[in-house]
Amino acid sequence: MSAPGGGLIGSPAPRRKNRELLTGEGTYVADIRLEGQVYARVVRSPSAHARLLGVDTSEALRVGGVVAVITADDIDDIRIPIRLPFAESPEANAVLQAPLAADVVRYVGEPVAVVVADDPYVAEDAAELVSIDLDELEPVLDPANSTESSQPLVHESFGSNTIGRLAYRYGDIDAAFARADVVVRRRLRVHRLAAAPMETRGLAADYDPGSGVLTVWGGAKVKHFTRALLSRVLGLELTDVRVIEVEVGGGFGTRGEPYPEDILIPLLARRLERPVQWIEDRWEHMVATNHAREQEHDFELAAGADGRMLGFRVRGWCDHGAYVRTQGLLPVVLPMVHLPGPYEWPAFSMDLDAVLTNRTPVGTYRGPGMTEATFVRERMVDILAAELEMEPADLRRRNLIPAESMPFSFMPGPGSGAVMPIMYQGGDFVTAFDQMLDGAGYDRMRVEQRQARADGQHAGVGIAAYIEFAAVGPFEEVEVIGGAGNVVVRAGVGSLGQGVETALAQIAAELLDVPLSGVTVEFHDTAEVPQGFGSFASRSTVLAGNAIAAAVDEMKAKAAPLLGCGPGDVEFRDGTATAPGDRSVGLGDIGPTRGRFEKEGLTASFGGAVCSVSVNPADGRARVDRFALAHDVGRAVNPRLLRGQLAGAAAQGIGGALFEEVAYDEHGQPLSVTFADYMMPTAAELPDVEVTIIEHGSGSNPLGIKGGGEAGMVGSLGAVANGVADAVGDGAEVLTSSVSSARLWHALHRPRRA
Amino acid sequence: MKPPPFAYAAAGTLDEAVALLDEAGEDAKLLAGGQSLLPLLAFRLARPSHLIDIGGVEGLDILEEQDGSLCVGALVRHATLERADLSGGWQALREAASLIGHLPIRVRGTFGGSLSHADPAGELGVVAAAFDAEIVLRSLRGVRTVPARDFFLAPLTTAADPDEVLVEARFPTPGTGFRSVFEEFSPRVGDFAYASVAAGCRLATDGLARDVRIALGSVGPTPVRARDAEQALSGSFLDDTAIVECARLAAETCHPDAGDWHADGTYRKALVSHLVERALRRLGAGP
Ligand SMILES: Cc1cc2nc3c(=O)[nH]c(=O)nc-3n(C[C@H](O)[C@H](O)[C@H](O)COP(=O)(O)OP(=O)(O)OC[C@H]3O[C@@H](n4cnc5c(N)ncnc54)[C@H](O)[C@@H]3O)c2cc1C
Repeated sequence: MSAPGGGLIGSPAPRRKNRELLTGEGTYVADIRLEGQVYARVVRSPSAHARLLGVDTSEALRVGGVVAVITADDIDDIRIPIRLPFAESPEANAVLQAPLAADVVRYVGEPVAVVVADDPYVAEDAAELVSIDLDELEPVLDPANSTESSQPLVHESFGSNTIGRLAYRYGDIDAAFARADVVVRRRLRVHRLAAAPMETRGLAADYDPGSGVLTVWGGAKVKHFTRALLSRVLGLELTDVRVIEVEVGGGFGTRGEPYPEDILIPLLARRLERPVQWIEDRWEHMVATNHAREQEHDFELAAGADGRMLGFRVRGWCDHGAYVRTQGLLPVVLPMVHLPGPYEWPAFSMDLDAVLTNRTPVGTYRGPGMTEATFVRERMVDILAAELEMEPADLRRRNLIPAESMPFSFMPGPGSGAVMPIMYQGGDFVTAFDQMLDGAGYDRMRVEQRQARADGQHAGVGIAAYIEFAAVGPFEEVEVIGGAGNVVVRAGVGSLGQGVETALAQIAAELLDVPLSGVTVEFHDTAEVPQGFGSFASRSTVLAGNAIAAAVDEMKAKAAPLLGCGPGDVEFRDGTATAPGDRSVGLGDIGPTRGRFEKEGLTASFGGAVCSVSVNPADGRARVDRFALAHDVGRAVNPRLLRGQLAGAAAQGIGGALFEEVAYDEHGQPLSVTFADYMMPTAAELPDVEVTIIEHGSGSNPLGIKGGGEAGMVGSLGAVANGVADAVGDGAEVLTSSVSSARLWHALHRPRRA
Repeated sequence: MKPPPFAYAAAGTLDEAVALLDEAGEDAKLLAGGQSLLPLLAFRLARPSHLIDIGGVEGLDILEEQDGSLCVGALVRHATLERADLSGGWQALREAASLIGHLPIRVRGTFGGSLSHADPAGELGVVAAAFDAEIVLRSLRGVRTVPARDFFLAPLTTAADPDEVLVEARFPTPGTGFRSVFEEFSPRVGDFAYASVAAGCRLATDGLARDVRIALGSVGPTPVRARDAEQALSGSFLDDTAIVECARLAAETCHPDAGDWHADGTYRKALVSHLVERALRRLGAGP
């Protein structure tokens, strides 16, 4: 008998809502219109670093239609806190951002005042009339020398531009270098990038003085955290704050974190007792929303002549921008845990500084830390391969952690600070690596490369292998409510376009044996979904999916007494709970049931990318002709959605390597504030992304799922850089993750040192 | 990203447009396809008092040969030019139009708007410079004609007065056997080029290049003619040595300060030499 929900986990069900979204029927935050609403415009610092001597709002207040103008003087002295306890430190907590700058402005785009008017055009006109009196200070702009004593301080009262140094020691590093036949050393740089979702941020907030309830639309990603934060800073009961998610045009880690505006707009709605809407424009987005990735690493790799990698030392500087935001020290923590990657290092030593500069704060962007670390390590592995004249794939395979060694850990040794231990629960890296090469047709790529070279072309092949840590806990809790013909799942995750509601519906439908169309997933409204930790770190399907499985077990336990059998005898069949002997009860009779899944630590999965690249030395243009990736997702709940996630992430990564860069001039003025300057790739610049899905299960959760939302990004910068380096051969050294045509042309035409 | 306040009026005829522009005074601007002006307004980099919309003016979209010239009307859209039956001598014009932005931009953007906007990266200005186009301006004061070399003064600045409407440009018809091509380098499809080249010449029966024209975009404050390069090639064969030398001389024409953070002057200069070579090889290869 084929059951209605059977086989749904693993089926390529189309993403829910595709039709509405593609036909323009979705409601995004900018579509919200509330009776009597007013519009906010944020006045931002034009300077990268200056003393704020005064803000004069009088002229703006005189403009007809202006309802209010607020500055730091009008609000409580608060800081936006770090959201994740493991990303906190006393130093980080000392440089948190206030919603509005009070004494010093520290980056171009920092909020200084907010103008509210009954028309968005008037709000923007009046915002121009707010005059900001500044006394310019020298800006700090270069992460790698930000800590030198000649540099001014971003936060004078903190007394340093270093807000933390993470040290991680494993094995006997001096011995490793002492017995090395070869040591390669380079300074590598990862350039600043922005996630730049198509939909900018935005909020609408409404306070009802009658009921005392504040409703905020537009929050996504971490609704329950935002609710708790607003309740605290606005002095409202938790139950009187309601955060509602509407359609989201891309999140990528940056959108949906609580930013200054997420406090200011609800605060204004409450104070004015009128609905307030704020929609970020693209210029604002490029200066206000978290940037990502910028860091520099001095890396030394020691190896034997046989290609055995013996150890590495790295000293790095990870830029956090002008403030630490909600993601705390993740911009330094995540590169660190991902630097060792999938290789069986006998020893390593890492020292990474978290530093401040006078630029937009840095947060996480799809594949955070791991993308940067993979670029740095994998570029060095290729540099080693060139030095040893070894085939890059062979060199990697020889050093991968063998399956017999699983589970595997690099426990921090003496001299380490308080760091997260690096542990891999399982997997077969060597087999997965070969699956990746086979999926990509690696041998054929190399043959084609030789042919192209014989024709005088500059053709290269690049590989990157990685470990991705994802699916972070601590928990996710869901409620499952059975009814006649419909099951409702309430989960505290966010739908950022990734299709999580489709995947969760598939899991519930299969476990309860109901048709997919009979499952509704509710996640939009904190008033209806009591708890949740949110959508980030490729966690939603893993955490909420397993919470659904827990709820289904609980439903069995509740059904057992009704059926007069043990929980183990209860089976869900065709929308009912059944027991041996044809007894059954409807799902609706079991009553609403909670399920909770708690998870410690991170789930590691293996993956990689392989690409072929051609370079034209005359104009510096690199083209990625083929891009193939493989990722171990444990178990693919929906291979169609997964492919979309992996290919989309890879496209972002390729764009980041070839075109995108957040640049600043020597005064700290941002240069990439439009899509003409922040160059996202279009279909014309991208190859098809070929995807190999690996399903090596996972012991760390009952459904055996690992993360998949970010993985396509992780190998991209490294693989493209390696492909370009291979294409130009001795012509140029590729030491930055940006291989824009201008950079590459200059690298190719730089006078060579002897 | 919302424009500052402005007054708006739509003109139905050229006479009306000229009159409205005159009446509205110095700070008024014509609005054609809006593909350059509207972004400037959104960034509040332009603050015109009035916008006079000429999008609906009839008769400004002529595209035909008259009295020994190709007349291109101000309202000819890039997409029209791109698909027009222009080959041989005019090929560069068609190729240039096809390289402007993306299709939705080319469907709206106009020839007159592009010349008037005078972005040194604008492809059509480079072709106008290469062909010595005559630009026809009209105001209540009358009609005058300005040669392309005097029209472009600086980035976003032309010789047109605030009360003048660009009506059309006339491209003198070159002699038989003349061919032209357009080459550029842009990082992504549709981006403003880091460097561009309009090149044309006539290969006489003796195989020697005559009437050589080379103009460059994105490497100076205005489109520039590479006169030394043209001269060097005139009267010689389009062989490797001549092409390489011509490309080298053309690159010398680049303005030393050209360039921005995406692509500095040294790189652009190298691109020019590469693009000139490519263009000349195409001309040498024949139709
Ligand atoms: C994303 C994007 C990419 C682009 N890429 C390119 C590119 O690669 N190459 C390129 O050349 N252009 C590019 N453009 C600009 C495009 O070509 C514009 O269409 C053109 O520059 C202006 O034409 P328009 O009709 O849109 O003029 P508008 O924007 O309406 O006007 C531009 C200026 O010209 C004035 N003007 C317009 N018509 C007249 C007239 N008849 N007489 C006097 N003044 C007039 C206006 O007052 C205004 O100052 C791009 C635009 C966008 C948005």
